[in-house]
Amino acid sequence: MKAVLMLEDGKSFIGESETLQKERVGEVIMNTAVVGYQEMITDPANIDKILILTYPLIGNYGCAAKFNESDTVWPAGLVIKESSRIFSNWQAKESLGAFAKRNGLFFMHSVDTRTLAVHLRQKGSMLGVISTESFDRKELLSKIAAFGKEQSLSSIERVSTQKVVHSGRSTGKKVAILDLGVTRSIVCQMESLGCALKLLPYGTSGDEILRFKATGLILSSGPEDIPGLEKVAGNIKPLIGKLPILGIASGNLALAMALGVKINKLKIGHRGVNYPIQSPSSFKGEITTQNHAYVLDHDSLLKVKGLKISSYNLNDRTVEGIESKTLKIIGVQYMPVSLGYNESNGAFIQFMKMLGRS
Amino acid sequence: MPRRKDINKVLMIGSGPIVIGQACEFDYSGSQACKALREEGYFTILINSNPATIMTDPGMADVTYIEPLTVEMVTKVIAKERPDAILPTLGGQTGLNLAFFLMKQGVLKKYGVESIGASISAISCAEDRDLFKKAMQEIGVNTPKSGIATSLDAGMKIGLSIGFPLILRPAYTLGGSGGSIAYNREELEKFLTKGLETSPVHQVLVEQSVLGWKEIEFEVMRDCCDNVIMVTSMENVDPMGVHTGDSIVVAPAQTLTAQEYNNFVNLSKRIIRRIGITGGGANIQFGQNPHNGDIVIIEVNPRLSRSSALASKATGFPIARVATKLAVGYTLPEVMNQITGKTTSFFEPTVDYCVFKICRFTFEKFPHAQRVLNTSMKAVGEVMSIGRNFKEAFQKGIRSMEISRFGFGCDGKDRLSDEELKRADKELLQLIRDKIRIPNDERIFYIRYALKAGISLDEICSLSNIDRWFIDNMRELVEIEEEVIKYRNNKIDEEIKIPLELLKVAKLNGFSDSQLAFILNSKEAKVRDARKRQNVKAVYKLVDTCAGEVAAKQPYYYSTYETVDESRQSKKKKVVILGGGPNRIGQGIEFDYCCCHAAYALKEEGVDSIMVNCNPETVSTDYDTSDRLYFEPLTFEDIMNIIELEKPMGVIVQFGGQTPLNLAVLLRKAGVNILGTSAESIDIAEDRKRFKHMLHKLGLLQPENGTAFNFDEAKDVAKKIGYPVLVRPSYVLGGRAMEIAYDDEALEKFIKEAAEVSGEHPVLIDKFLEDAIEVDVDLIGDGQTFVIGGILEHIEYAGVHSGDAAMSLPTYTLSQGILQKIRQATYEMAKELSLVGLMNIQYAVKDDKVYILEVNPRASRTVPFVSKVIGVPLAELATKVLLGGKLKDLGFIKEIIPEYVAIKESVFPFNRFPGVDVILGPEMKSTGEVMGIDKDFGRAYIKSQLAAGQKLPRKGNVFVSVRDRDKRQVIFIAKKLADLGFNIYASTGTADVLDKSGIKVKVLPKIAEGRPNILDLMKDGKIQLVMNTPSGRIPRQDEVKIRSHVILYNIPYTTSISAAQATVNGIEALLKKDLGVKSLQSYHKRRKR
Repeated sequence: MKAVLMLEDGKSFIGESETLQKERVGEVIMNTAVVGYQEMITDPANIDKILILTYPLIGNYGCAAKFNESDTVWPAGLVIKESSRIFSNWQAKESLGAFAKRNGLFFMHSVDTRTLAVHLRQKGSMLGVISTESFDRKELLSKIAAFGKEQSLSSIERVSTQKVVHSGRSTGKKVAILDLGVTRSIVCQMESLGCALKLLPYGTSGDEILRFKATGLILSSGPEDIPGLEKVAGNIKPLIGKLPILGIASGNLALAMALGVKINKLKIGHRGVNYPIQSPSSFKGEITTQNHAYVLDHDSLLKVKGLKISSYNLNDRTVEGIESKTLKIIGVQYMPVSLGYNESNGAFIQFMKMLGRS
Repeated sequence: MPRRKDINKVLMIGSGPIVIGQACEFDYSGSQACKALREEGYFTILINSNPATIMTDPGMADVTYIEPLTVEMVTKVIAKERPDAILPTLGGQTGLNLAFFLMKQGVLKKYGVESIGASISAISCAEDRDLFKKAMQEIGVNTPKSGIATSLDAGMKIGLSIGFPLILRPAYTLGGSGGSIAYNREELEKFLTKGLETSPVHQVLVEQSVLGWKEIEFEVMRDCCDNVIMVTSMENVDPMGVHTGDSIVVAPAQTLTAQEYNNFVNLSKRIIRRIGITGGGANIQFGQNPHNGDIVIIEVNPRLSRSSALASKATGFPIARVATKLAVGYTLPEVMNQITGKTTSFFEPTVDYCVFKICRFTFEKFPHAQRVLNTSMKAVGEVMSIGRNFKEAFQKGIRSMEISRFGFGCDGKDRLSDEELKRADKELLQLIRDKIRIPNDERIFYIRYALKAGISLDEICSLSNIDRWFIDNMRELVEIEEEVIKYRNNKIDEEIKIPLELLKVAKLNGFSDSQLAFILNSKEAKVRDARKRQNVKAVYKLVDTCAGEVAAKQPYYYSTYETVDESRQSKKKKVVILGGGPNRIGQGIEFDYCCCHAAYALKEEGVDSIMVNCNPETVSTDYDTSDRLYFEPLTFEDIMNIIELEKPMGVIVQFGGQTPLNLAVLLRKAGVNILGTSAESIDIAEDRKRFKHMLHKLGLLQPENGTAFNFDEAKDVAKKIGYPVLVRPSYVLGGRAMEIAYDDEALEKFIKEAAEVSGEHPVLIDKFLEDAIEVDVDLIGDGQTFVIGGILEHIEYAGVHSGDAAMSLPTYTLSQGILQKIRQATYEMAKELSLVGLMNIQYAVKDDKVYILEVNPRASRTVPFVSKVIGVPLAELATKVLLGGKLKDLGFIKEIIPEYVAIKESVFPFNRFPGVDVILGPEMKSTGEVMGIDKDFGRAYIKSQLAAGQKLPRKGNVFVSVRDRDKRQVIFIAKKLADLGFNIYASTGTADVLDKSGIKVKVLPKIAEGRPNILDLMKDGKIQLVMNTPSGRIPRQDEVKIRSHVILYNIPYTTSISAAQATVNGIEALLKKDLGVKSLQSYHKRRKR
């Protein structure tokens, strides 16, 4: 059936949808990756977002449970150009359409996503509403205006585990992961490095974390829910310097806030798999996956004693990585994704080294 | 890191003539590299034997050598110029191999030359099968089970232990030549023998077949600080078993999961690190089992390749430019991305469209060749198309190929009609299945027939091993077609009834107006009108490397049917240049050269240049050649869309070869201003009657001629003008279906073929002037002043297509009197036609008479050659003339007759089509050209032969066998050879004649009559040169065998008496004094003084 995406600034796009959902409001973001749609929609970091994929052909290789980053889908909606009629890959179990329907995702297609992406680039990210019910401009805009006022739970609360979960090898290095919206990829990479993992609810206090006697703590990626992250920052502040901490994406924001670093919002977030970062001290860099709208404030960061910038985004010179030997912290704003089957990203390996030293 | 300061002079090796497997993509990469090097202030030395390239323009490198690409000649250039470094990664396999052999022979060490871009060890690691396999094992990358054979016995053992089917790949060959698939013991033996001979190092890889696996490619770059990027992934629609150069390819890969993709990226990084590329790019080919995801590596090309040219055009990322910068020490983050103008080259391009590549074949030129595709490349060209989905790109790609198809069938050109398919019998269904199972150039159309005939998707997938995702997309197109058919008109003149929504769907999925007209039983113009009336118009989107994330500074465009047009027109004066489309025999790089020069000239004149072309291999489709590039098919519909949008002051159709010229009439009718020679004059040149009338008026001669629609009419014409006659269809390219008939019987056969090609036009019949000398003249005019660019004398006698003939500039046997007649006729015709721009005239000279064969009011194939020889950029001048400039003001008013000699020689693809006879005729067969330049004819000729790959001997044995007509002339040739110390072998008849003339000659028996015969001697390497002229219309079996063995064993040969004369002339010059090298710039300087 016909569906509409109305942006906060009144610009609208028409498409199609077979969704059972009637209407959803959320922040409209775009991701430029060609593959990885299932990973993106099951990544808790994308909770409540209306996710636009700029690559026009989506669903080609279908879906399978093994590609989930979590047990469910999180975005308010997925908006694409062309949804593949069939799927073709030996691992696939169902089509993206079926997967979306089964998981209650508002899945909209046949949208001129190129024009939409260019519009967002020019105007910056904004709220939007997708609907199959109402096509009335006024009504839709009023729904956007009302958005956020009725939310009771914070995003982090909604994505985080309720109770402690153990995984990985029981004999390995004990590492605690504060679940701010963790992805399976993070857990798997740490498991393959031989760690014994404890997944902790986001609200776990510093004292409680210490009681687990973990050698290190990971602040996972997740939604950029700033008030929620501020709370987390308060909880972990006493731990800094006491055990090695790895902050990932939104976890890095929490870590930075705990250190007293300011954070800034970008006009348009970094969302894709082709972002170059480079260390300030060498010519060596890396192509990274990113999914963030907030970055650490460069100047306030330099005021923290012992804290160094380990990598910049090469395009806009924003901070992508921090580290401190004295404070025993590593922070990455990008997503340290797995390199290939059972291979871990350099950020985790570096963190393991830090664990080895302490 | 900053650029290297320890090197100052860099030598670049080009890729030589256009051959199958190595086309103008290396002119594109080489030109980009030249620019990149000079930008950095390096003194650039270039050697390439191909004059039709942009890279060999005197302004591209500091010093340009158009010399044969042999170790010997490159060594001479090195000795003379003393470069600090050699950049071998931009000249294709030829450049890479040359660098490797220069290293092997100690030349690089002797002169202290470093190989940059890819070190010699990196080249060895990627190219040497054994080293490569070991290296891959080390880093845990699987290779197909295989072994290296250096002998037949060893190869048989390896093959039998792996099991059939097997793939055989000879080492160090380009485009997989000599590669084959063996299904049994017998074939293994046969192909091993052949492969060992083909490989210059006598090495063949015998390999487990991964037929039917997915073929995935990655373009990878790495700098000296170990930064690695993937430029793009590509997926071959044709699975393993079809050479990737022949395959339909899409970018990015469409059927890989994120995890699989990451895994490929990871493997690619490991591979490029292990191979050891520290400042350049590589193309990596993988095979993937579609049933369990197993991955094997097929090969790594540690250089710029056909695929990297495609990857560049597909993403906007200039791989050659960046690779060159990396080779001289820069890191990726230091090289700006010129498309965005904001970001650096250290990123991975991402796209928001689908790119489709499909190949152009020329099986029709080689009717005896098997029309199947395998691991030995056969395509002569390719096109790239861009769409917002696969279906749109797919249909645009098909109509870009210029095989008179307008999309995925339903264009009136289908071999099988819907009705036939509906009631297909068992036999027809079997034919369709076979055409899908065995890869061939028409496979996609048979997939359509299969879908229409009710063969299931699953069956098509299992027959073809093509991924079901692609087949389903094709099925969707058939479904749309069947939806559209419901609105078919009863009468052609009725109004179009298709609903707006369906029209939009069809256009969104790439259906052309022409297809819709056919389905709806209407006319293209009506569909176009209906479409425009309802505002269903093409909009243009950007190739910007970043999927719209950054506002691009220098993007290029593709059309689609979305909601918003993103093109940015300027208010300046602008001119559209129509390119030449895919390379094919008869229309290649020469025309792209002219189009590029048109763009350069427009820039100089301050006029915006708008390029339209769809050939990803070319310089014309580079992002910085023109002001705006539209990557679009060259059809009326697609061109008109651009013209209506851009509203240029005019369109240039003179330079892109026959493609744009054929569109000229339609465009003119649509009110488009065609720049240059008037429509009226073009019509006079092209219309036989009007042309005849003009010649008559000017008192010029033409071979007697007539036209015919059938054999009876043809017989009458032949009777009137007398045999032999030249038969040809109207309006064709490269002498397609052109033949010489000596009697009624042959005439009947040829008329049938020609009539088929000719369609509704009559077949043309000319008196064939036997033993006439042909002459090509290129000239330029501004309406008042006309200047000859060059008069070129063919070395072969009349009857060989001018695109295949060797030519000499200046002429070498014509008298001043004849030349005077030619000049006079040339200027009179130019004046009569009020020539504005370029023109080419073909003459035949016989018995002191000058006959006009043809007048082409456009740039010819020889324009780049002539421009290089005389040092005047004719195409550039012509462009300025088209804009109203005068030759007087431009400083070109007098014909230049060089004091040196330049020979243009053609290069043929016979080694790709086993069993095809190598004799030349009126149908063009060559794919490319080389130039030999020196102070006299003999030396220039021998250089041209060396450059064309003929290793002419200085001593040894020559086999001579000529037809009766040539027997008098061969005496002198053989005598000369004997005097020069060669041993003469001859066939019985020829030996008789030579013996009587007192020449010592060894007689060889006819092949069936005794041994050792000539074939045995050739096989044993005892024959260094073969001189054979065909005995007649139906060649004797012996001759054909001899000639095909010549190709197999790569023995130098001549098939005409005039070429034999020139060859002997050349050998004599060679023996007198060794060949030297001289740069184009110094030839030109001497002339200017």
